[in-house]
Amino acid sequence: MSAPSLQLARLLEHPAIWRGRSAARREALATGYAALDACLPGGGWPRTGLIEILIARFGVGELYLLLPLLAALTGRPAARWCAWIAPPLDPYAPALAAHGVNLERVLVVRAPEPLWAFEQTLGSGASDVALAWAVRDPRTREIRRLQLAAERGKTLGVLFRPQRAVRQSSPAVLRIAVESRPTGVRLTLLKSRGGARGSIEVEWTAGS
Amino acid sequence: MRSHVIRQKVRSTPDAVRPRPTRARFPGTAPVTSTELWVGVHLVEAAVGQEPGPLEQLALCAQRFTPRVSLVPPDGLVLEVKGSLHLFGGVEGLSRALASECASLRLKSMVALAPTPLAALVAARVGKPFVVTELTRLVGQLMPLPLGALRWSDETLDRLARMGVRTIGQALRLPRAGFARRFGTDSLATLDRLTGRSPDLRDRFHARERFRRRRELNYELESHDAILAALAPLLAELGKFLEARQCGVMRLECLLRHRHAEPTSCVLGLATPLADVRRLTELLGERLGALTLPEPVRACELRSSSLVLRVFSSNSVWQPGEHGGGAGAEAAELIERLRARLGPEAVYGLRVLPGHRPENAWGVREPGGPMGQPVAESGLKGRSRARRAPETTGAQRRESREAPAARRGTTLWPAFRRPMWLLPMPKLLSERDGLPRRRGPLRLLGEAERIETGWWDGGDIARDYYTALDLHGVRLWIYRERAAPHRWFLHGVFG
Repeated sequence: MSAPSLQLARLLEHPAIWRGRSAARREALATGYAALDACLPGGGWPRTGLIEILIARFGVGELYLLLPLLAALTGRPAARWCAWIAPPLDPYAPALAAHGVNLERVLVVRAPEPLWAFEQTLGSGASDVALAWAVRDPRTREIRRLQLAAERGKTLGVLFRPQRAVRQSSPAVLRIAVESRPTGVRLTLLKSRGGARGSIEVEWTAGS
Repeated sequence: MRSHVIRQKVRSTPDAVRPRPTRARFPGTAPVTSTELWVGVHLVEAAVGQEPGPLEQLALCAQRFTPRVSLVPPDGLVLEVKGSLHLFGGVEGLSRALASECASLRLKSMVALAPTPLAALVAARVGKPFVVTELTRLVGQLMPLPLGALRWSDETLDRLARMGVRTIGQALRLPRAGFARRFGTDSLATLDRLTGRSPDLRDRFHARERFRRRRELNYELESHDAILAALAPLLAELGKFLEARQCGVMRLECLLRHRHAEPTSCVLGLATPLADVRRLTELLGERLGALTLPEPVRACELRSSSLVLRVFSSNSVWQPGEHGGGAGAEAAELIERLRARLGPEAVYGLRVLPGHRPENAWGVREPGGPMGQPVAESGLKGRSRARRAPETTGAQRRESREAPAARRGTTLWPAFRRPMWLLPMPKLLSERDGLPRRRGPLRLLGEAERIETGWWDGGDIARDYYTALDLHGVRLWIYRERAAPHRWFLHGVFG
């Protein structure tokens, strides 16, 4: 490689330069599913920012998709909180523990207005990951606030939304629609900053 | 304290105390030669039992003269002023300043100066002018004072009076051994302390400090933001107050006064001692936002609980979220902020309990961080208890599932068999031809898992659990009662 092109390559590695579907290096967290890792930029969930998961119905498998991530994040020595903001039901502790989630780091927040608590949790820098279930559909402006808070607090935010929001635009880093399949889920990447779009099938690995 | 003791020892052997050459410090000050000089203050007609007592109030004021202030309840106060006497214009100046402090507190007091605290106090009780600065002259000056000022028991004083001993001088002239035998060594020790023969160590007075400031407003405030802005100077003052003392508060009360209605109180409870004004303002703002005020606010007041010494730790090299950077302070801060707005029970952690009934197998606990309860320990406890528990008797073949739940990764029952979500109460399902329905027929997957337990405490259950798939592909955890009428219930969602 000649000297100018080497310089150019170095320049393009600067994190401030965004190059569409470029291979610009970014920190990522393995999803635990090889098929999904291959589709996501950086090879996994983004380290910070807001992810939207759109589901037709509560319980189609959206939580199983995240369990390897939660287990990995809460199992680290200096783990921060894994916050559950306004979950619709009680998270069942024995099942979480059985999937390897460290319950010491789990924080459940019951909030009538989840978006405020979600923004606080994202922006505080005290959480590794925050999951939130929106009671009402958040506006684009609110999602932008959440996205900025997540970047500020170096936190990964996951917002679960109903599937009817597919057509809305959103400032989130990643938007995934989840549909149920007999032995897994079908994921549609609606938006993936710096990555490809499309659909993939994820099979639950036995015993996970 | 060490130096204090040494000084006392020196003083306790009067022969060793040689009068030092007189130094004129300031015009008008008396020559001072003893190693210590105590001011005794005796409160006349002190109303005892008031809160906070006049004695404490006076002690607080007297601390501006010297840090060595001791209380002699119920009505006495001694201060060591040797080092600071010249700062207040000598004996006369100090006496005048003390008298004006007493006057401002509307207290009537008598003041005396002597090289030992007890002598100063006794002389003050007698109420005649008494200023002795040299230890060698002390005994001579004490001689004519009545014995009653020592406040010995009436019986002792009576016996001494019958012997014709009514003044301190007469008592000092009695043979020591005989005196100790007749009236006890305590009485002799009192006399020794009085004359400086033995040291008189006294506990220093430490004020129970609280912060309390009030601000009257020139106009009535209704908006929460304006109230918070009005509180800002008080909070800033609180911040300086805490910083100067290296302390924090655990509880802060904000009182908002109205024209007619009762004052509105807003109490902030904190998890760790806090002195950071920015965070206090933030938390108070959250709390105020949740208040409904009956009337506009005319005055506001801040009251702290007693102060707590803060323990400082160094900052981490890494930001939270970077490399090995944990989130020590932020973790507690987040919980406090959420709780300030949502209430204390809205934020909690989860734990696994050793119970066979699915609804009893988990519990709520204080979010466990580095500063919370050690969760590893509670996990261990749960495990060992589950091993010992006699529950397996009533349980079926799959019942050995409970204990290993705490042991991550190595589960005896497949993790897939427990749902991620549990309903707070099992929900009755409709059925057709004995099969459950929920917005359409449910398809049962796999074989049943029988849970039959709890017979020993009356909460017995006998259920056959199934995984079921509904029309939308949602996997549900449902069960059928083993007893008639064999109803179907929804108990969880796999998620």
